[in-house]
Amino acid sequence: MTYVLTWLALMALLALTFGSSYLPMGAWNSVANMAISCAKALLIAVFFMHLRQAGALLRLAACIGLLWLALLFGLSWTDFGTRTSSPAPWSSR
Amino acid sequence: MSYLSEGYSLRSWLTTHDHKRIGVLYMVAITAFFFLGGAAAALMRLELATPAGDVVSAETYNKLFTIHGVIMVWFFLIPSIPSVLGNFLVPLMIGARDMAFPRLNLASWYIYVLGGLFTVAALVAGGVDTGWTFYTPYSTTFSDTNVILVIVGVFVTGFSSILTGLNIVVTVHKLRAPGLTWFRLPLFVWANYATSLILLLATPVLAMTLALVALERLFHIGIFDPALGGDPLLFQHLFWFYSHPAVYIMVLPAMGVASEIIPCFARRPVFGYRFMAYAILGIASLGFLVWGHHMFVSGQSMYAGIVFSMLSFLVAIPSAIKVFNWTATLYKGSIVFGAPMLYALGFVGLFTIGGLTGLFLASLALDVHLTDTYFVIAHFHYIMVGGSVMAYLGGIHFWWPKICGRMYPEMLGRIAALTIFFGFNLTFFPQYLLGWLGMPRRYHEYPPEFQLLNLFSSAGAAVLAVGYFLPLAYLGWSLFFGKTASSNPWQATGLEWQTASPPPQHNFEQEPSVERGPYQYSVRSNEYGSQVR
Amino acid sequence: MSTAARSDNALFGMWAFLATEVLFFGPLFFGYVHARLAQPDAFVSGSHHMHIVLGTLNTAILMTSSLTMALAVGAARKGGPPGRWLGLTALFGLVFLGIKAAEWVMEFGEAAGAAGGEARFYFLYYAMTGLHAVHLVIGLGVVAWLWRHAKRFDAAYHTPVEAGGLYWHFVDVVWLFLYPMFYLLERYSA
Repeated sequence: MTYVLTWLALMALLALTFGSSYLPMGAWNSVANMAISCAKALLIAVFFMHLRQAGALLRLAACIGLLWLALLFGLSWTDFGTRTSSPAPWSSR
Repeated sequence: MSYLSEGYSLRSWLTTHDHKRIGVLYMVAITAFFFLGGAAAALMRLELATPAGDVVSAETYNKLFTIHGVIMVWFFLIPSIPSVLGNFLVPLMIGARDMAFPRLNLASWYIYVLGGLFTVAALVAGGVDTGWTFYTPYSTTFSDTNVILVIVGVFVTGFSSILTGLNIVVTVHKLRAPGLTWFRLPLFVWANYATSLILLLATPVLAMTLALVALERLFHIGIFDPALGGDPLLFQHLFWFYSHPAVYIMVLPAMGVASEIIPCFARRPVFGYRFMAYAILGIASLGFLVWGHHMFVSGQSMYAGIVFSMLSFLVAIPSAIKVFNWTATLYKGSIVFGAPMLYALGFVGLFTIGGLTGLFLASLALDVHLTDTYFVIAHFHYIMVGGSVMAYLGGIHFWWPKICGRMYPEMLGRIAALTIFFGFNLTFFPQYLLGWLGMPRRYHEYPPEFQLLNLFSSAGAAVLAVGYFLPLAYLGWSLFFGKTASSNPWQATGLEWQTASPPPQHNFEQEPSVERGPYQYSVRSNEYGSQVR
Repeated sequence: MSTAARSDNALFGMWAFLATEVLFFGPLFFGYVHARLAQPDAFVSGSHHMHIVLGTLNTAILMTSSLTMALAVGAARKGGPPGRWLGLTALFGLVFLGIKAAEWVMEFGEAAGAAGGEARFYFLYYAMTGLHAVHLVIGLGVVAWLWRHAKRFDAAYHTPVEAGGLYWHFVDVVWLFLYPMFYLLERYSA
């Protein structure tokens, strides 16, 4: 049944994320883990949460939270990502 | 048998599922908070009538402006139109029997009251002095007032907002009467729908941000404290991500009210209906992209300042489109200056002034001079009080016959509207000048050269107070002695006017079938087309 | 209003609510990104103190509970009583919470003594997994209620099971992001 197959895929992805964290890939470990988590989330949303059968409205509702968080992260980055640090002479950093 | 006579006991009101009764419950609650927040403002204006800080201490003054802001923003403005008029009217305007989730609706009111009780408790326990903005690290580390108690109050009430928003979104999507397509919806429904999207997407961020302030206060880990490796701007980005869209929660429904009153009292359809609807959606979405304009001098990077400044200019465009369209609606109309119309016209004018001064503040260089001065205070009071409060009052008057089946006394209504308009401008216009001249906000004393303008402002506040008490008095009076209202005393075109005043519990005897768009007004006032038939 | 229409409304309402939940967790993720970028070494150090086996096991358990929940919804849709699957879901959820609580107790000593960036790691760990656990407890309440009333649901009416399922899956998805964030930082150098 679709549900069991989905579960098997989830388990495989879990093994992948666990295993790959032992491979020294630096920053790419986090990228890989994020991608795998997204894949798992997508599997759960599409198959367990029945988005596969759902109309446009439900799919929009499913995505909009993440989209809005992306706005928060993205526009905040215009600040955090472009700060120049001018530490005082006595500052430890 | 109207919804009001379905039970006269307190219990029938406190256990109701009827969206109309819930709207009235909200109306009573927010009115109480309005006068509580207003009392704080009255004390502040009393203090500021003279330069010396002689009425209250600086610490007390800090507590006054904090509680004024907390109550007015979260316990009056945010719920005012959506939870009172939205709850009452949205199902009626779309031809539905009730909201999608009536029990959640009642729950939202109880949650609101619970949040309010926590906030009043904080007040009774000695108040809070952080400002309604709770900036860190003062709120997390240095303030020794009842910060957590107030935070709990606002946090709890946030869930009331979320539930109201949820209800309106699902209701508008799913419960429209047959024939009522999206572009046949009254703009009041569009406005409350867009507002509800903001309520859903922004409020949870505020809830978690305030929770973090409380946790930081308890555990001192240092997320917002630079000395421990944290960043106070983390708080500000999160706080304003909610609080800027929040101001659109406060103004969009007001725009919806204006869009109902103006066509009716000018006997002309709204000019540019589709643009009005798109502008509402545009304001709601663009409103999420501009929050950094509250942080231009906070230490935010210059690059971010430029981005947010540009986006802030953009969001003025849909607002301007709406102002042009309201004006165009009036052109060649047959205008009657009834009390609702006086409020609606006041809204358009004062919102325009407030909005234009927003452009001053969105300009980086000007903002360096104007930020944290009375210019900012005048700007947001023009929009929130000159705009939203006047629209709220206009809506209350316009739909009063529908809500309680009585007419308010028209002459008193006009006098009150004019008193409020005059008092408002006398209170807040001098504040633009004060800000421009450099008077900072949140100070209980000031240099003597600012006294004359402050005196005008305080005098205006007294007039404004009289103006606000008038409706309280005559609307209350009209409940018992007002003229009985017909189902459609304004000869208006919305679905809500096709049923009795006040409506029966299930709104319509028969589910309406909609055949036309809204605002089928004609200058000959005895000719107008309702949306049905 | 027909049952089908009511069901549509309820499910739409649940999805809209889940959107608000994403934004509710959002600031914590925001704080995590900020803190980790500011002090990456402290975060790696904190992550190395996590119990990787228990964390991975818990992830597997929660995903399995999602399977049993989906099977419960599937059973309800077909008209069969979903009680058995609901019971298993609750069981898995309880085991997850038990393991989580054990981890919290074991890590508390380390956490209480941490300073600077590591203190922020532990704070975010407890805050985020704690908030997740609160949601899981609520989910358990929902599943327990559904299990008690399982006989009410049939092929024609099973909306509460569907809506409960959506909530449960959401709680699972949140954990799927928390797991790598806290357990899998530079495991190769642990």
